[in-house]
Amino acid sequence: MSYQHAEDNWFAAILIGFIALAVLVNIWRARRGKELYIRRIPGLDAIDEAIGRSTELGRPVTMIPGLTAFGVEAVQALTIFKYITKQIARFATPMRLLTANATVYAVAQEAIADAYNEAGRPDLYDPDSVRFLSSEQFAFASGVAGLMQRERVAANFMFGIFYAESLIFAETGNIVGAVQIAGTVSFTQVPFFVAACDYTIIGDEFYATSAYISREPVLLGSMVGQDLAKISFASMIVGGSLISTFLGTDHPIVQLLGKPQGWQPFVEWLSQVLGR
Amino acid sequence: MEARSIWERMMQIDRRILYAILAVNIIAALMARVAIEPDIPPPVKRFYDTIEALQPGDMVMVSSTWSAGTLAENQPQFEAVLKHLMRKRVRFTIISFAPPARDISHRLARRLTEDFGYVEGKDWAHFGYAPDIIIAVKGMSEDIVQAIRQDVRRVPIAELEVMKGVKSLKDYKLVVDVTPSDTLTYWISYRPPNLKILYCPTSVMAAEAYTFLDSGQILGMITGAKGAYEYERLLGIVGLGTRFINAIQFSHVLIIVFILLGNFAMFMQRRTSAS
Amino acid sequence: MLFDTTQLVVALLWIAGAFALAIALIPLLGTLPPRGRFALISFVTFIAGLFFAAEFFLPVGEDNKNILTDPFQKMQGSLQVITALSLGLGTYGLVRMHLRNAIQRRPQWGYSLVLLVAFVVMAFFSVWNTMAEKGLFGLKRTPLLENAFTLLFDYTLIQLDATMFSLIAFYIFSAAYRAFRIRSIEASILMFTAMLVMIGIVPLGKLISDSIGLPAVQTAEMRTNPFMLENILYNLRLPQIASWIQETLNAPVQRAIEFGVGIGALAMAIRLWLSLERGIN
Repeated sequence: MSYQHAEDNWFAAILIGFIALAVLVNIWRARRGKELYIRRIPGLDAIDEAIGRSTELGRPVTMIPGLTAFGVEAVQALTIFKYITKQIARFATPMRLLTANATVYAVAQEAIADAYNEAGRPDLYDPDSVRFLSSEQFAFASGVAGLMQRERVAANFMFGIFYAESLIFAETGNIVGAVQIAGTVSFTQVPFFVAACDYTIIGDEFYATSAYISREPVLLGSMVGQDLAKISFASMIVGGSLISTFLGTDHPIVQLLGKPQGWQPFVEWLSQVLGR
Repeated sequence: MEARSIWERMMQIDRRILYAILAVNIIAALMARVAIEPDIPPPVKRFYDTIEALQPGDMVMVSSTWSAGTLAENQPQFEAVLKHLMRKRVRFTIISFAPPARDISHRLARRLTEDFGYVEGKDWAHFGYAPDIIIAVKGMSEDIVQAIRQDVRRVPIAELEVMKGVKSLKDYKLVVDVTPSDTLTYWISYRPPNLKILYCPTSVMAAEAYTFLDSGQILGMITGAKGAYEYERLLGIVGLGTRFINAIQFSHVLIIVFILLGNFAMFMQRRTSAS
Repeated sequence: MLFDTTQLVVALLWIAGAFALAIALIPLLGTLPPRGRFALISFVTFIAGLFFAAEFFLPVGEDNKNILTDPFQKMQGSLQVITALSLGLGTYGLVRMHLRNAIQRRPQWGYSLVLLVAFVVMAFFSVWNTMAEKGLFGLKRTPLLENAFTLLFDYTLIQLDATMFSLIAFYIFSAAYRAFRIRSIEASILMFTAMLVMIGIVPLGKLISDSIGLPAVQTAEMRTNPFMLENILYNLRLPQIASWIQETLNAPVQRAIEFGVGIGALAMAIRLWLSLERGIN
């Protein structure tokens, strides 16, 4: 069953609307001054420490957004790198941002230039510090590995979508003795990062990074909305499991939750129940 | 400066020594004539049974997005799948969603099909490289001739004998996705509802596929070169999977031995420091 | 003929028009105050996002299309054009930097020279090969082209690609040796799980389980009576344990992470659509 339109599964469309509402309501609450809590993420606390180490050693920092095509993940990665660059600009530490996607390269150039401007050090911006290496996976990997080895980087930040080349980056960083912080939504690469990096940010912690770093009300509010949506999903899973255990898997509520074509039987059942 | 104890030196073996040991291990394993019968996992058995259930003349789409980087994992799968399809006298078409994958899969297919007397254009075809998988799958779900237009040899799709009676993906029985990347979710999202999917990922990507196996969105899966070996055992052939399995399993054993060695050294180092 | 003349003229007119519009827009955007610029960009972003959202939510006919579906597919095609253009931009940046390194003899300029030579040679033969395949400009496949393309593609690129992937096998060895130590409970669980899966998924796992006398086959009686001793022993086989870890532990955890990631991506997309995300602005 494909989900190309809302009509393919109205329940999924309603859930999307619910998540959007949860996010927007909590953004509104945050803007009105509500204090919102976000738990500690050790990997993100270590960013400043890693930059400090780079500065002391006088060796560059590398930032790698992976093979991320331009989209939501790339924007998030560049937001994080922009924050890192602003910290770097304070200490005049050299940096390299290496991309495998030309669109990300174009946007990254602007983002990094802005970061130096906002930090009050536009003179430090070097256009060659943002590089497009190759769109081919292993050509990109060999370029990054080579650069890390030649320049003996002291800190390596990897945020974005990664595939098999993730371990090449992480282990090369380990060989040169870099402090490494990685964040990815690529589930299959998490074990490699956990084994080879100092800190790993997993799954939706990646999306929480910008909220954590900036503490902006809009972003914190969005995080709370996301968490509410997750709690609702978990409740639906538990509820659905209980209903299917006691009322059977053919029950309309279970079909609604579990089957793409479950909307129609649920609507018919609901009409019957309300009609009574 | 205090000399490092043997345990400290064991815990921090130079990685070049580790790499040399692994290289020797792999070379020796590749030359070893050791054959161990595998336990065939249910996803591999279902993969085999799904293709085995096809009838001569049925139409199958092979989505081949792998290139040189994942040759060792995807080539054994690709070869075994094509051999099985040809053994069942099934018609198939190949499409690639990565530029290097087109040439690699086309050349390999031409070599393999010669042994089975398959003729390109008559029994099989290669649709070449499609830059956008979403547009390609959606387009092929409605009208293949409009979506693809010509095969890799620039012959119009409508003129290919293999495409007789086939208007769209709805006329296909099956798609086999041989890939190192995330093409599976696009096939699941945009294919016609009746089109079954079989999946051939690299070992790393397989972890993501168990949810789809569980929900029945993919019917079977063979995982990397190891999965290709299990599949070859079911087919009764000796292919690249069979040739590579010893290197895989003895490398796993080596890694486990060294992990245990490293932990033993760590314990001994702690005991020595404590005393 | 390479192109139809009328189509070529129409295409050139469209391109010229787009250039003219872009050139006119840039000074116009420059005259706007920053808040006005932000408002304009937010408006365009909102309309563009609304188009895709509306296409998803509007009812469809029997052909699974609504009034926005065909323009939607054309828009997706235009995204490919943008990607192709940006590839040109990226390539330009790469070549410019390495050319400057080589001309100014900056440190490690030798690598830059190698890159430039490889780039030119590979591009030359690839473009020639593609044009010869399509019969464009009367070009044909010559022995020189065949040999050069085979040397560059089959004997160089493919082998280098495969070599880089093979590095991962060595790197995972050193990473596993370094990381899988019993330092904490979590590290221990990681280590033992990895070892069980590594040995369970290969035929050696079956051999070891058979050699210690564990039942090799699950009979119907064992399936109906899961707590009988033989069934428990069968499930202690290494392949069964590895399979259980992959299917029963890994799959639900992956689902949970995917839920979070999906919700996070949706929330971020909403923030970008409504211009609430200021990150890279």
